[in-house]
Amino acid sequence: MAEPILHLLTEAIAAAPSRCSYAEARHVATDADDVLVRNGRVDHVDSDSVAGVGVRVRVGGGWGFAATREETPAAVQAALARALAIAESQPTAPAGALAPVEPARGHWSCGYELDPLAVSLEDKLELLFAAEAALRGDARIVRSEAECESRRVRTAFASSEGAACTQERVECGASIAVIAVDGDELQVRSYPSAHGGSGASAGWEHVLGFDLAGHAPRIAAEAIELLTAPPCPAGRATVVLDGDQLALQIHESIGHALELDRMLLGEAAYAGTSWVTAADLGALRYGSEQLHIAADATLPGGLGSFGWDDEGVAAMRTPLIEGGVLRAALSDRQSAATIGLERSAGCARADGFARQPIVRMTNVSIEPGSAGTLADLLADTGEGLYLETNRSWSIDDRRLQFQFGTELAREIRGGELGRLLRNPSYSGITPRFWSSLDAVCSASDWKLRGLGNCGKGEPGQLMRVSHGAAPARFRDVEVGVA
Amino acid sequence: MSAESPLEIAERALVLSDGDTQVTVVRERSLLSRYARSAPTQATAVDDTSVEILSLRDGHTAIASTNRLDDDALRATAARAVAAARAAASSGAGTHPGLAEPSGEPPAHDGFDEATARLDPQLAAAALRAAFDVAAEHDLEAFGVWSAGDVQTAIATTTGLRLHDRVSDAFMKAVCRDRDGRSGYAVDAATAAAAIDPEALAHRAAAKVAAGPLAELGPGTYPVVLEPEAVGLLLEFLGELAHSGLAHAEGRGALDGRLGTRVAAPAITLTDAPAHGRTLPRAFDMEGIAKAPVTLIEEGFATSVVHDLHSAAIAGAGARSTGHATQPGGSPWGPSPTNLVLDGGEAADGAELAATIERGIYVTRLWYVNTVREKETLLTGMTRDGTFLIEDGRISRPLRDVRFTDSVLRLLEATEALTREQRLVTEGEFYGRRFAHGVACPALRAGGFRVTGATAD
Repeated sequence: MAEPILHLLTEAIAAAPSRCSYAEARHVATDADDVLVRNGRVDHVDSDSVAGVGVRVRVGGGWGFAATREETPAAVQAALARALAIAESQPTAPAGALAPVEPARGHWSCGYELDPLAVSLEDKLELLFAAEAALRGDARIVRSEAECESRRVRTAFASSEGAACTQERVECGASIAVIAVDGDELQVRSYPSAHGGSGASAGWEHVLGFDLAGHAPRIAAEAIELLTAPPCPAGRATVVLDGDQLALQIHESIGHALELDRMLLGEAAYAGTSWVTAADLGALRYGSEQLHIAADATLPGGLGSFGWDDEGVAAMRTPLIEGGVLRAALSDRQSAATIGLERSAGCARADGFARQPIVRMTNVSIEPGSAGTLADLLADTGEGLYLETNRSWSIDDRRLQFQFGTELAREIRGGELGRLLRNPSYSGITPRFWSSLDAVCSASDWKLRGLGNCGKGEPGQLMRVSHGAAPARFRDVEVGVA
Repeated sequence: MSAESPLEIAERALVLSDGDTQVTVVRERSLLSRYARSAPTQATAVDDTSVEILSLRDGHTAIASTNRLDDDALRATAARAVAAARAAASSGAGTHPGLAEPSGEPPAHDGFDEATARLDPQLAAAALRAAFDVAAEHDLEAFGVWSAGDVQTAIATTTGLRLHDRVSDAFMKAVCRDRDGRSGYAVDAATAAAAIDPEALAHRAAAKVAAGPLAELGPGTYPVVLEPEAVGLLLEFLGELAHSGLAHAEGRGALDGRLGTRVAAPAITLTDAPAHGRTLPRAFDMEGIAKAPVTLIEEGFATSVVHDLHSAAIAGAGARSTGHATQPGGSPWGPSPTNLVLDGGEAADGAELAATIERGIYVTRLWYVNTVREKETLLTGMTRDGTFLIEDGRISRPLRDVRFTDSVLRLLEATEALTREQRLVTEGEFYGRRFAHGVACPALRAGGFRVTGATAD
């Protein structure tokens, strides 16, 4: 199928008029299913198969993009004409160059063992029913659910600069969650992470590795225990974040802040700007010397992994922060050229065929530290709080002031985990918070975690990204703010 | 462009299906132009048609969807839905009560404008130019978006439903910003693009950009004036947390045990009113149930929650769908009100609301609001694009943006006054298929707004 589609795209781009300084066409075909078992019954079984072509052109400095679900030469030509008409109707825009790129050629696909879309629905339901049943048993659990999702995305891309490539990515994930209620008290527990589970660019073996049914009794018991647990105290404390919460902390207070389009004010009316400016690159102290962050689209298993981004820029690894000092930003071809970079960081990504590429995260991760295992880190910590699994999140439009809540906290007493505390929260200011980082667990505790719901862009785009993280320790953090 | 209408596509898919079936066809045509630093940045035109086929077996639903419209694709999609419903049904009887039955024509509405549906890029260009000119007059830069959409929805079921609805919508957002990063914000939405005045909108945004040193407030509680954009966002969260019939039936809703009791100030009357003159109307929900007004809070008393077919069946006790399904078969998180209307009060404007406040906060909009604790309707978020200190009854100085952590129901309980004028407010976020909706609401003054932090330089 890829060759005829690629031919369709290259033919369409070849027909772009000479007044058009750049043109690209991208075909995206997505097959996905999502199965949810809730409160002992199948809640929904959804399967989705959508495809279409998006054409983007540049005339002078103006961009136009038009999408069509029809995969015929006439429809793609009509989309090209519509994109041109839109680009040409706009008020004048600066016609800066795009960062150069080697034309993308060939095919890329991610590795996997068991095709998740080939796993039978019966097998998926059996796994989910077993996990969900193990969550129930206490009347205070008012909602119990087990969910899995599987997805295959095939893309083809051609540009007026000679790109002609195809890609295939397979993804899946699964999770369990409960809501426990007693009077006015409501508590939530999830596994392996909140907000729909930890997806990966991997086969069904990724889901089997979660052992959902094995973890379900613990998750349910913790939700019940939280109903009567003492509240997390307010004040300042040493905090150890689990990998799941640290992944979201990286996402919100580093990943988004380092999107170059935000720094250049391109997202000021919606997603916001950044406390970081382009002039800060290479000089700004972002955090402590323990802080090493990289964006790596070549990581196996990452939801932000690919062969080429959606502008045809080859996947790469970019150190963003080294020893606490800001080194680089996430960029696409236009934003990179705007500040004089020699190349894009390969972060242009689009959500499906009907959206145009914008600057997005790939896999933005903290590098493993040298603090050993979580047990080693707790032993070294002595007294503090261990915060686990995100429950609420919010950060200002410059990615500076944040407030997070987690599903649970545990006291750290005498270097070990102690009693459970309910409704924990913490807040901070981004550079001060990251400057308080003094230990990151070692590679043995480092894992890649998927986030499938990163919102940005107008019209809205949901992007799937991953973050590698290990438990990490922060000193003198404000807790109990909510 | 396919000459076949959405309803004709739905009927064709229904013939290709097997057993109890609902086919929902949505055709979106839309245009969205973004701008930043007083220049166009991105423009997106979409023309797409999606077909969702819901199969029902023994109380279980399964949905398969596609945007390929040939017979083979529709037949394969229907087969996927049927196979999935059968697999679900093998686990025992489900709780879905069955597809909607025909019950006459849904109420007519005036939510479609032919001129808007033309999606003329010249209209977008003119709106952008107007915003750029106004910003330049004030020595500011303009940022924002102009968008228009034409969405048709058709439903055909094996129970005999044959429904078609067509709505248009237009949305414009303007943010004006000075060299120091001070910004002001204004939005407008309507069913017709001609109802939006880009120049007036940009002037409104520019007027919010205030020079001078930033005042600061520490954590604490303060009297607050919330403009409609802030009120509307809080009410959208309230709709999900308190008025979802499924959340209520599961005992996790914020009105669990509180229906019939006072939950807000007497000045608060909140309805879901799909035919209200300021809202974006729709004829029926995603299960084909006609939209009808529902009173949610009346003079401070919680009166009802909303239902789709499935949540009503789970709730029992005579509950019926109120026409609030957000997807065929109902969302896993339950139904939700999408035409909220908060009654206005007596105040002429925000300045009059502020007149009784000795020291407080004036909020233009809220940002990145999220739920902290569901049953308490406790939310957290930031102020943005126009936050001011109120001193001695006057909106006096720009204020550093603050973080609030407060309960929506507590704020409504502490509401002292509202403006007469209601505005249709929306964030204009079009994730997935375009579903334009908003809240028609006034500005309000409330006591005890809880501030838990502030941003930094």
